[in-house]
Amino acid sequence: MIAALDGRPVAEIGGQIDSMQLAWLVHQVEQRYGVEIELDDGQYARMSTVDGAVEVLREAIPAVPR
Amino acid sequence: MATPDAHPFEGELVLLFSRWEAFAITATEPLFSGTSEWVDEILMNGADNGVCLHLPGGPIARSALRRLVAGREEALVTAGLARGGRVALNLPPSLAYVANLLAAWRIGAQAVLLDHRLTRYEVGAALDRLGVQVVVGTDGGRGNPLAVFHDVTETISVRRGSPATTPHAVLQLSSGSTGPSKVIGRTAADLVAEIERYTRIDGVPLPGERVILLPSMVHVLGLVGGLLYALHAGVEIVPPRRLTGEGILDAVASGATPATVLGVPFHIGLLGSVSDPPKLPQLKRMTTGGELVPTAVSTAFGEKYGVPLGNMWGMTELGVIATDLFGEHRPALTPAPGIEVREAGGELLVRRPESPYVGLSDPSRWADGWLHTKDAGRVDPETGLVTVLGRLDSQVSVGGLKVDLTEVEHTITSLPGVEAAVVLYDKEISAFVQLADGVSGQSVDVVLAERLAGYKRPKRTHYAPALPRTTTGKLVRDPAVLRERFSPITLEGER
Repeated sequence: MIAALDGRPVAEIGGQIDSMQLAWLVHQVEQRYGVEIELDDGQYARMSTVDGAVEVLREAIPAVPR
Repeated sequence: MATPDAHPFEGELVLLFSRWEAFAITATEPLFSGTSEWVDEILMNGADNGVCLHLPGGPIARSALRRLVAGREEALVTAGLARGGRVALNLPPSLAYVANLLAAWRIGAQAVLLDHRLTRYEVGAALDRLGVQVVVGTDGGRGNPLAVFHDVTETISVRRGSPATTPHAVLQLSSGSTGPSKVIGRTAADLVAEIERYTRIDGVPLPGERVILLPSMVHVLGLVGGLLYALHAGVEIVPPRRLTGEGILDAVASGATPATVLGVPFHIGLLGSVSDPPKLPQLKRMTTGGELVPTAVSTAFGEKYGVPLGNMWGMTELGVIATDLFGEHRPALTPAPGIEVREAGGELLVRRPESPYVGLSDPSRWADGWLHTKDAGRVDPETGLVTVLGRLDSQVSVGGLKVDLTEVEHTITSLPGVEAAVVLYDKEISAFVQLADGVSGQSVDVVLAERLAGYKRPKRTHYAPALPRTTTGKLVRDPAVLRERFSPITLEGER
């Protein structure tokens, strides 16, 4: 999903996520799963890496694949 | 200014005309940066019941904003801020930011704007460097990254600083090509002149209309093109509740009056990826600044929403320079009224009587009344249309925020345990870092996160005991060579 932001191959995505990529990711997940994700500051703070973001989204939305 | 009582920085504002007399700036008296008149006359004038801001919690009428500003003014004065003093605002876009900024200007103080995403280290360095006397910040963390407008309670702290030494109403930091950030100053007269330019550009939101404001109002596009112009013109500012495609469309749908979405290209992507957007007759236009928009993106947007996608070019140093708000000349732009642009040696230069840089004398940036934009481009000799072709220096745009790779590289190189670093941009910021013996990449990551704001930090960092060098010992900067050297197969220590 982050790769789709600027059309890059998935392999070229770095490990860190900035706030813009995070907004994009949440937007895309909401589009795909038809939900509105409400997270607290602590959860957003854990989403500074791709791995961390996936972990938080899995916690927040059961439908996200494990 | 030398002393709080001096009046050395009055700026002449010539008689200005506008096609829309209802909101034209026609001040004929000199504007004093150190006095409050310009705030009341240009920004806060208007009907008491006129809505300035429409927040999720409800509308903020002009009379309420005036009361709020008066309250903040009292608090800042109580903290010791005086005319000619220097206050830093380290706040996210918020009602607190708006009220404190206007209050600081009404006091006649100089406002230093510090992005809330800067690290404590960066903020501390800026406060020390600029001798800030009073800091308005928050106790909380960085907050919700999906919030466009934040709900914060401000805190005021007093420092051992000094009064302002220049006539500027606002100081902003721009990511610096020589390491530390450059300090850019703008006078009240200069800000008013930019607001006046906006009133004369066809395609901007009109009085009584709304602007769905997406860029941070701490930076020039959101600050002048959004906040200050809207306050002056009687345009209602509507920040979306959330920074998602649906959030932006909900903001458009929240009112009946025509709405212009102001953003950066990233926001076009958010709207473009909404699968089945509702029909919104209120949506009048989307306008973006910050970087060039690919033709395919603008075409897709037009097909989906059926409204013009406008484009703007500007700089922190002077604000809006040229626009194409109807998408008629893409990728070319028409210089904004009163702005003179010329091309010299492939670089675009803008006439600017004074250097905007504080404490910096660099003829490669400003000389003989011309500001060097560091943007490559050309000016059509017949039509005067300007085409921006890209940066000539190491500055890149990350979601509309300017980041100078030299600053990033300088910061990484100065970290303990780092022997050398090369920072490149290829759709994202990447760093190649040579570590001293026994130093881990993880430990460098931790310190870097304290020194550099998240949007400036490399998305991918490659660590190695040695970086490729030329035969003369210089670091290799060729992306192809570095990519090959640090391919996933050979790479160790990458995060």
